Amino acid sequence: MNGDCCCFERTIFEMQTRKDLLVMERHPFSLTAKQKETINAYIFLVPMLLILGMLIIYPILATYKYTLYNWTGLDEPDQYVGLKNFIIVAKDPYFWNAVKNSLIYTAVLVPIQLTLALVLAVLLNNTYGRMTAGIRSLFFVPVVTTPAIIGAVFWMLLNPVNGPLSQVFGLFGIGNGNLDLLGNPSTALWAIIGVGIWQTLGLNIIYFLAGLQSIPKGLYEAATVDGANGFQKFTQITLPLLRPVTIIVLLLAILGSLQVFDTVQVMTGGGPFFATDVVQTYIFRFAFGGEHVKPAVGYASAAALFMGFLTMGLTICQFFVAKRLRK
Amino acid sequence: MQMGKKKISTASTKMVFLILLGCLNVYPVIWMISGSFKSIEDLFGKGLSLLPSSWNFQNYVEAWVGANFGRYFFNTLIVATSVTVLMVLITAMAGYVLGLYRIPGKKIILGLLALTMFLPGGLTIIPVFRLVHSLGLLDSLAGIILASLSGGLVMYTLLFMSYFGTLNKELAEAACIDGAGFWRTFYNIMLPSVKPMGVTVGLFTFLGNWNSFFLPLVLTVSRPELRTLAVGVYSFFGEYDTQWNLICAASTISLIPVILLFLLLQRHFVEGMAGAVKG
Repeated sequence: MNGDCCCFERTIFEMQTRKDLLVMERHPFSLTAKQKETINAYIFLVPMLLILGMLIIYPILATYKYTLYNWTGLDEPDQYVGLKNFIIVAKDPYFWNAVKNSLIYTAVLVPIQLTLALVLAVLLNNTYGRMTAGIRSLFFVPVVTTPAIIGAVFWMLLNPVNGPLSQVFGLFGIGNGNLDLLGNPSTALWAIIGVGIWQTLGLNIIYFLAGLQSIPKGLYEAATVDGANGFQKFTQITLPLLRPVTIIVLLLAILGSLQVFDTVQVMTGGGPFFATDVVQTYIFRFAFGGEHVKPAVGYASAAALFMGFLTMGLTICQFFVAKRLRK
Repeated sequence: MQMGKKKISTASTKMVFLILLGCLNVYPVIWMISGSFKSIEDLFGKGLSLLPSSWNFQNYVEAWVGANFGRYFFNTLIVATSVTVLMVLITAMAGYVLGLYRIPGKKIILGLLALTMFLPGGLTIIPVFRLVHSLGLLDSLAGIILASLSGGLVMYTLLFMSYFGTLNKELAEAACIDGAGFWRTFYNIMLPSVKPMGVTVGLFTFLGNWNSFFLPLVLTVSRPELRTLAVGVYSFFGEYDTQWNLICAASTISLIPVILLFLLLQRHFVEGMAGAVKG
């Protein structure tokens, strides 16, 4: 009505609002402009608060309750078992196998990926004329690709029967063209780590590029005048100044790796013989049932919360280490 | 002179190296796209090559119609678009009020938001599933849309809050005096002035939901017709793991919109990502 009004309409409207204000002042029970504003402000918060309450806070509290029940997920939880679920989790060798696999995945993936990302970011930080954006895109594309679909594509690439990668290995005399990396318990986790490194490499390159671009160019020029070579500039300028960014990148990479699910679920589902069973696939199997497992939602909730606390502990440790490093 | 030449030659060596490495890096994606045009014999026989011996467009028809990926495409599009629009609107509205207005109870709300970031989450998908079920939304895409609104809600609200906080409140007050109502002031004046943040939040919400797997997987277990592309590829691949060319076609269909979006908004994408470590 009054969004893009001309001057004439505006003056009339102003007169009207002033009249309204006068009218309001006369009624003792009507609201002041300030009160109206506050009510409007609350109305604006309602959608966010509804979703926060219904889909974030309530589920967190509800899942705490489920951990105390023996429950298949059907009907309502009624068989209260106290902390028994947590005890079973802590005693289950398969849970610790999954924790071990998640930790190996993280401990191998993160250092390799971040080193690669840093080196590539330094190289990509140079400009290559009109090619710059194109070259960078080659490294960013996997980041926007659906992880579950990446899982399916790599499953095909790694397939022992005519899969392209097993043919490549065959050329080098490995596996005679039917190398089954995902089907072999001793290699499956390594193949999955390889895919993981590829999948989020571009993301970390972006992070490091952002860090590199915040380093003043003058420092490098001054170092060149002083006769420093490329390697010296990298170790004396780039690395120290990148430290704050590196700490955050490291935290994000570790947290992300501990939560890997999509690619693993699609490529192996945790197999063969639990060789690639990470914590998230373990929890998924118990929550929704899977090979030789009936749904046990109470138990799965306990396992998830157990992992939640382990991760939180780890994050707090990292936080303190990071704080000390920053000084 | 010589220095200059040497510099150019190392720069071009680096460039060639990066291009080669970059091509190797996108090989899996290119292989997938070329596979979508191959016949099944072609894919199994000459797995490595990137050029199909004959261009087979029939795969797309079969994937789109026969394997139902057309339906999955529109499901994904509806879910990702709806979540994006709702998310930007909801978090911008909340961020606007929290960033610019002093209202009683603001501290409690901020406390709640902070709390959710520190509470260790367990298996929250089960209560979410039950909630969607009890609202009678398991039979529709609305259930997936509603459940997906939780991802990023807290972070985006806080981002909008700090962005609105940097704006001048007088702009809003002036608009109010001119007779624009609260909603109008927000929609016509304040929302356009946070456009960069809106684009970033929208882009990441869209990408995240386009690529989402776990939530739609769980919510469509008994409703195959509601599957999104990621869940569709996973299920198809579980049932017909020999029809690689159709999986490739379906995967390519899923990749096209995100690649287009990425190329169009590359700057926003990179800056948004970079913002995560700079702050």
